[in-house]
Amino acid sequence: MNPFRQILLASAVGALWATAATAQMTDVGTPRNETLIVQTFDGRSSNATQMNPLNRYAHWRGFRELGWSYLWEMDTSTGESYPELAVGFPEVLNDDHTKFRIKIREGVHWSDGEEFTTDDIIFTIDTAFKYRDKLTNVTNYVTFLKDWKKIDDYTFEVETQKPSYDFVTRMGVYTWGSHIVWLPEHVLAPIGDEIVTYNNEKPVLLGPYTVKEYDPNGFWQLWEKRDDWERSGWGNLGEPTPKYILYKDFGTEETRSLAFVQNQYDIDTFMSPDTIEAAQKRNPAIETFAPVFPFHDMNDACGWGVYFNLQKSPYDIKELRWALALSLDLQQVGISALNGQFKSTALPVADTPVTRPIFHEPMRDFLTNLTLSDGYKPFDTSFNQELVKVLAEQGVDPEKLPVGDAIVDSFGFGWWKHDPAEAEKLLASVGIEKGSDGFYALPDGSPMVLEFVYPADWNKILQRLGFSIADSWRQAGFNINARQVDNGEFNTYMRTNARFQMTIAWNQQCVFNANWRNNWRQWSPEFVLPADSTDADQRLDGNYVRITDPRIYDLVAAGATVPTDDPKMAELGRDIQEIVVEEMYMLPLMSIPTTIPTNNTYWTNYTKADNFYALPYSWWSSFKKTVVNIEPSGK
Amino acid sequence: MGVLTFIAKRIALYFAVLFIGLSITFALPRFMPVNPIDGYIGELQSRASATIAPEGLAELRKSLEELYGLQGSVFEQYLAYMKRVVIDFDFGPSYTYFPHPVSSMLAEALPWTMGLLMTATVIAWCLGNTVGLVAGYFYKKRAASILEFVGILLYPIPYYILAISVLMIFAYIFPIFPLSATFPVGDMTWAKVGTILYNSLLPGLALVLAGFGWNILSMKALAIATSEEPYVTFARLKGTTHRTRMLRYVFRNALLPQVTALALSLGVIFNGALLTEIIFSYPGIGLIMRQAASGGDYNVLYGAITVSIIAVATAGLLIDLAYPLLDPRIRHK
Repeated sequence: MNPFRQILLASAVGALWATAATAQMTDVGTPRNETLIVQTFDGRSSNATQMNPLNRYAHWRGFRELGWSYLWEMDTSTGESYPELAVGFPEVLNDDHTKFRIKIREGVHWSDGEEFTTDDIIFTIDTAFKYRDKLTNVTNYVTFLKDWKKIDDYTFEVETQKPSYDFVTRMGVYTWGSHIVWLPEHVLAPIGDEIVTYNNEKPVLLGPYTVKEYDPNGFWQLWEKRDDWERSGWGNLGEPTPKYILYKDFGTEETRSLAFVQNQYDIDTFMSPDTIEAAQKRNPAIETFAPVFPFHDMNDACGWGVYFNLQKSPYDIKELRWALALSLDLQQVGISALNGQFKSTALPVADTPVTRPIFHEPMRDFLTNLTLSDGYKPFDTSFNQELVKVLAEQGVDPEKLPVGDAIVDSFGFGWWKHDPAEAEKLLASVGIEKGSDGFYALPDGSPMVLEFVYPADWNKILQRLGFSIADSWRQAGFNINARQVDNGEFNTYMRTNARFQMTIAWNQQCVFNANWRNNWRQWSPEFVLPADSTDADQRLDGNYVRITDPRIYDLVAAGATVPTDDPKMAELGRDIQEIVVEEMYMLPLMSIPTTIPTNNTYWTNYTKADNFYALPYSWWSSFKKTVVNIEPSGK
Repeated sequence: MGVLTFIAKRIALYFAVLFIGLSITFALPRFMPVNPIDGYIGELQSRASATIAPEGLAELRKSLEELYGLQGSVFEQYLAYMKRVVIDFDFGPSYTYFPHPVSSMLAEALPWTMGLLMTATVIAWCLGNTVGLVAGYFYKKRAASILEFVGILLYPIPYYILAISVLMIFAYIFPIFPLSATFPVGDMTWAKVGTILYNSLLPGLALVLAGFGWNILSMKALAIATSEEPYVTFARLKGTTHRTRMLRYVFRNALLPQVTALALSLGVIFNGALLTEIIFSYPGIGLIMRQAASGGDYNVLYGAITVSIIAVATAGLLIDLAYPLLDPRIRHK
């Protein structure tokens, strides 16, 4: 047969095969009912061949969830750490809390059959330190560790640069995964100096899955369960259910929703609420995280808020910041931007099952009794009840609205009152009054134009939210210059003092449990730059709200000497939050609404609000709990 | 002016265009309000839920400045860039995907972009011009109006809508083709070629439909104008057939502007087809350029834009050199 005919025949066979076999086999040739298929977090990867964790790797392809294993993992349903490769927790060797002895489990094996020992650990740390100025993904632990040594094949000791009461989460997992990924010495040591550019395309891994195949164009990666999964780094968690796991990009939201309706995959990421609703109407096997409002997971480690440049006028005026808070109609903003599917928080910590008993419940009275300088009480405890009422009036099915105590669970404890009149009063007290154009003007009569920057379409939900917030403020009389920017400009803007004015972001509200230092240790004088700094070497590396309050510095410093499980740690965290709220140093808005619809056609028993065993994120290492707990539907 | 002088001048102009283009390419990304180091650090922090210690970020910032070659004055960076690009044709590593070499990223993406876009552009050109020629030559007939209607109908439809419609019809309502492409890995076999063709048909169809309409309308207008020329009337009076007049008198003379348009279209295919890549999950250079622009990845932008400049300039050069062969009037002049 000539080549042309062969191509035609192959195309025809391909078409027939794809059409007839979609129900049984995946596009990559694995049995559909043995393959869990997950939409990738970041779409297509541009560096699919890069699997060396010492540099930026193809990180949304399952490595941290399936391929690697850590000393300590995080139980994301409770906020508690648990040992994974380690035996128990580290032994503290000195009063300064800088020296630790760690034992690792015997009998853990790499995917090529070699045993995992402390030689691998020492090799990893040695390599990171040796090439620290040439590698792009080791910075967090080379600036944390000071000394390390092997004691025996299963014991090693390390010394940290500073007292480290949070050692377990710095060397293990805090939320999404660990910064330190162990390398197989027997494979990578012979590579020598080339390790800094080595792609590691056939990685030898510790997890119970190995890379079976991947698309060099970056659209998909297929994992296969190891035969010896019990000897893997987290084999002690139980047997992972799917034989294969495929991470694949199904394209735009339009094509993803069509593929989801056709049962081509099982777990989606960040599909918009409208699309999920449309898909559910066509396929009842598609489910959200909760059956009632707000439907989606609200337990991300970070929250969304408005950040001001506290070093720049007029954002350094407390009354202006409070006026912005009281002028924002969050209820209307949440309904127009998120269909009412959000959970508010007035604190700089997301309101989750983990953080609620530590911060939100104990601080409820503080918020309720908080009084501004003119005697005004700004907190609105009926915010959530009102929201339910408005949603009901808008025709939302009453069965999908929470009742009783569930209202607080769904929508949070409350938020700031929407009271533009009080905002006007506060502004008048500092000489800011409305001009003839209806907008507030500065005390000298010049126009007060506030720049508000928010993400463009690279974060569609924040884009909608930013637009609605700007609109709400304009209606209250603020002359807002709202700018949507690309993610590159967004990052540069936030880090450059001379540019930054006001934005919507998340990186100052990433407290997952009582260990608030993991995020707020950046509120320190060493991360403050001159207010007008512009040079490339004067960009901020932390403290993006530009906090300069010595009270907060003292509390943050005090937290460095307190064990993370000591009640004093939580108390210090609450003290910090009281100051942040009283001064309105930032304007927290809500938990990050994370939409992760699942499809029950081939797999069931996903983690859900009423079956909560882990956070549902397919891009966090805690996804391993899902992989172990899901069950085949039998189709 | 002798032929050799003409060619020498034209080639000198070609290199001047390249030099100016490369210099502008160097300057443009630096006017963007984006710092590639901030872009990388921001993404690193974002994917780590902001758990990287600030002291770690400070150290990383210093390392990246060295690794990215962003130290020294802008002029020094410009000289280093010109030397690297002109002498070695090396664009260095991608900043965002450091240390992945840009040349390797382009080499992996370009065959996909060129294969799909070149084929679709040529098919759309051939089909559109054929239909346009018939519609223009026989413009008084009802059938010609119908053909023109096809062009008018397709031309104004935004590509995004056209592509989604094609997907809805051929991948969802009638699931003949996949909603998103999955290309097999491994060595190139006939079966793999077949799968690539099968997965490329829908994006190709959308591109052909999108380019088809303009070619019909353009060729039809040219064909009508040309068929009114005295030499066509003379040919008709000489008793030549419709076929002869249409192909040898009208088509040949109406073809020149269309050839120019085709050459320029082929030149710009190196910019990629961003929407096609996004909608059909198709590999290519468009998405790489989009990510580079948003993340301030200068080196990738340099690489992709340089390839594009070379392609467009070369296309222009080839047109200029080929015109005398196609048109005796130019040859005579």
